[in-house]
Amino acid sequence: MQEPVKGTVTPLASLFPPEEAQKASKRVQDALADRQSELDRVQGFIADNTALVNLVQRLPDELHHDIMVPFGKAAFFPGRLVHTNEFLVLLGEGYYAERTSKQTVEILNRRGKALESQVDSLKAMMKDLKAEASFFDATAAEAVEGLVEIREDYVEESSSERVIETGPPKPDSPRFSGEDSMKVAAEDEEYARMMLRFDELEKEELAAGSGDEHNEADVDHSLSQLSGDHVLGSLEERQVRKPLHHSKDEYATTEELLSKKHFEEDFANQLKSKIQLEGLKEQSVPKDSDDVSHGKSFANRATQSSSRGKDNIQALPTSKAETSVQSSKPATDGLKAFTGSIVEHTRNIQMNPREQAPSSSQSSGSQPTKPVSRFKMQRR
Amino acid sequence: MASSSSSAAMRELQRELETKANDLSKLQKDISKNHQVRKKYTIQLGENELVLKELDLLKEDANVFKLIGPVLVKQDLAEANANVRKRIDYISAELKRLDATLQDLEEKQNSKKEA
Repeated sequence: MQEPVKGTVTPLASLFPPEEAQKASKRVQDALADRQSELDRVQGFIADNTALVNLVQRLPDELHHDIMVPFGKAAFFPGRLVHTNEFLVLLGEGYYAERTSKQTVEILNRRGKALESQVDSLKAMMKDLKAEASFFDATAAEAVEGLVEIREDYVEESSSERVIETGPPKPDSPRFSGEDSMKVAAEDEEYARMMLRFDELEKEELAAGSGDEHNEADVDHSLSQLSGDHVLGSLEERQVRKPLHHSKDEYATTEELLSKKHFEEDFANQLKSKIQLEGLKEQSVPKDSDDVSHGKSFANRATQSSSRGKDNIQALPTSKAETSVQSSKPATDGLKAFTGSIVEHTRNIQMNPREQAPSSSQSSGSQPTKPVSRFKMQRR
Repeated sequence: MASSSSSAAMRELQRELETKANDLSKLQKDISKNHQVRKKYTIQLGENELVLKELDLLKEDANVFKLIGPVLVKQDLAEANANVRKRIDYISAELKRLDATLQDLEEKQNSKKEA
């Protein structure tokens, strides 16, 4: 590691002691059990209610029913149920109303609906609690495993300085991080050069091409399918057509096309290595807004859409990584640009269920017997 | 001399801490009691609202009874309706009052915690 070490390394166990997390998890589980019993009770009510509805519907079918009348606690005697269409319904709070069978069924159905809404709300509550419980469990497990939280201040211009801190250095992980950061630096430089070239070309075209309004429709067309290779395709199509009208622009557009191709290749490389370049995204975003400000010229639109397309592609791995962070980390580090974590195991790697970064795992997978270190790095 | 005075101060502090802890636990008990009462009232409110809805759906000539102790007393529908409404108003007022006291207690609890 040549670069100076920045940022802090805190073991997750010091932020959230495992016992505390387990206690919290237990409390949530208790609450969950309470809700479950409540749910069972309400569902019992619903079953009773439907049974009662069936009975009430059947009663007026006959003029009278022969029944056994309970008398006291132990005794029954035979009796006869008459007036089978007259019910005295308890409405609640000691109020009773005389109703017919049909009206009673209506009342009971309304009650059933109320019960069902209760069940729904209970289920929603249980879902929330379950999510909470799983979160606490995950935190507890991570704290026990000795997960480490790494924070570094985000430095915008010099993304090549980004160092991947590996905590107590293990033989295999620094090698990887060293390679990674070198790669990052190289690709970044290349990108900066390209962006410089783009700027020049834009200026040229701004000066040359001001009568491109008739391409409006094409632009809209390509804007509507701004994803992945479509962008490239439509861009090429337009750029082939363009020299017909403005021969002056020919040089500029072909040049642009070439560099774009280059750019896309570059981009595929990045996807393969699964490493997010800080500089790439950072630079492309301001670029975007710049272009919007003077958005009439054709060239501007072209670069704009290309950079947007790139964003689209880049968004895929980023969001994947982000979901994994959000599930494991509390939302305290919103201002930090980079969070990474290292999991150290003394024995077996398979114990950790949330392995994300394949590039680092392959190093540890080769030698499972000795203490290994892996890391997950994510961008925020 | 110095050590005895410091230990006296220590004892003083400890006693203070104890009284504060007692106060806090008393407040917490109050709060939990308040929660229970509120739960009861909320359930009653729900029941009363159900009754009111059913009473509203009844026709004018329907027979309505009120169970008072062991006997069913026949009641006018309008009277029953008014009674239920009044009860709902009362319960809502009570709930509001409980909310206010609860907030008060929680504020006190927080200030105690900080102290």
